Amino acid sequence: MLFSQVLLGNVFAQPVDPDLLKLKSRLDSIQSFTTQLTLSVDISFINMPVKKAQMMYTKGQKVKFSSGDFVMLPKRGLDFSLNSLLEYDFITVDRGMEMQDGKNCKVINIIPTDKRADFSIATVWMDTRLRRLVASEINTKKDGSYTVHFQYNQDQKVLPDKVTVNFEIEKIRIPINFMGKDTDIDRKKMRAAGSKTGAIYLTMSNYQIKTLL
Amino acid sequence: MYALIKAEIFKLFRQGKTYYAIGALFSIEAIILLSAYFQGTNIIDLLLENLKQRFYFEGTLLNGNLLVYLILNTLWFHLPLILMIVVSGMLTAEYKDRTLQTIMLQPVSKWKFILSKYIVAIVFTLLVVLALALSSFGLSYFFFGKGDLVVYLNGLNFFDASDAYYRLRWSFVSGALSMVFFSVASLTIAILFKEAAKTWIVSAFFLILSNILLKVDFGDNWFNALFFAKLNDTWQYFFYYQINWEQIHFNSLLSIGYSLLFMGAGIYWFHRKDIG
Repeated sequence: MLFSQVLLGNVFAQPVDPDLLKLKSRLDSIQSFTTQLTLSVDISFINMPVKKAQMMYTKGQKVKFSSGDFVMLPKRGLDFSLNSLLEYDFITVDRGMEMQDGKNCKVINIIPTDKRADFSIATVWMDTRLRRLVASEINTKKDGSYTVHFQYNQDQKVLPDKVTVNFEIEKIRIPINFMGKDTDIDRKKMRAAGSKTGAIYLTMSNYQIKTLL
Repeated sequence: MYALIKAEIFKLFRQGKTYYAIGALFSIEAIILLSAYFQGTNIIDLLLENLKQRFYFEGTLLNGNLLVYLILNTLWFHLPLILMIVVSGMLTAEYKDRTLQTIMLQPVSKWKFILSKYIVAIVFTLLVVLALALSSFGLSYFFFGKGDLVVYLNGLNFFDASDAYYRLRWSFVSGALSMVFFSVASLTIAILFKEAAKTWIVSAFFLILSNILLKVDFGDNWFNALFFAKLNDTWQYFFYYQINWEQIHFNSLLSIGYSLLFMGAGIYWFHRKDIG
């Protein structure tokens, strides 16, 4: 336990769930990885073709992306290392077991105790047998809430092959007569719609992973 | 007829206002490119402001395709206005200089004479749109490169660079039909009003009215579908996510039909009227 806490770089005031620490420890064994991303956006007021990008992760650094196209990447959901959730001091609350995506998962609340954390509470669903994340729900302080579902092709994998990120998104506000024909009917429809939910579907392929030996 | 067309081409390219008009058009294009260079990022930021809360963006939307799209928007008002002034001037200048009487003293058929003016007006219009298309693609791609296009039309539509190029090319073709309609209409207005100032005012009014009526919803009926003012945004149909080719074909044929109708009416009136 102490070893895990040292690994995390934090000294917690309250005990942290041991399964979460095991998962974090497993994720931390990954030194770096690259993968090809395929993104598809499902937001009612956005029409976008399927996009491709490369995702590059190096331990201790921010995830980087590169693409020849213009791509929109969700701010949450692509942090497979859990770094953004466990960056500052936090406590965990065990919520028991729950079925998620057809799997019996351990549910844990992560509550940050440091004001610098950009989320107020996060819930994670963990497959404790396979030591990996199945889903998470993050309530951020500024950017609303995100729900992320992870899918894996094989039991031994810790990095997901498919990720679905669901979020709430406000309707866009476009200046009048900007970028094309301004139709009153459309604006009425947009006004009535209010905030909407959206989703981004990510498919990863061709993982190149470097781990601690 | 061929000699008349040649003479009309000669006259059109001899008059100074043709070059002023073309110069004005390319100045507008240069201003759009310059303003995009200095302010383009702000415009994109404004457009994507809400999305920025949720997303990181990789790549840039300020690219040649967006610039060509912005230049395409001159098809709403600037380009037809300039074309109407030049084209109507082809006839009003002849009334003013009284060269029309001189020509009519020759063994020249009235309908052939005015038809040659219509033909040259249409060719000139197509050439100007072609020049605008070539210069806007050339300059935009040279200075801003290629990239994905974002257009706000019933939501935010993103198009891949190659798809954007395809749509932009077709919208120039479709826009050319609309420009031909306005050029033909302005020549018909010139036949009716003869005097340059009156013709320009009426032509500008016609253009403004067409733009206003385009935005008026007459309901889901035949008038809304067939009214000429409703056809002038057909080039925009290429920027809906799904291209409605059936509607575009229908509108294009109707637009050609209206151009022929205005042209026929102009030839009829010119034939009936006294030259004086």
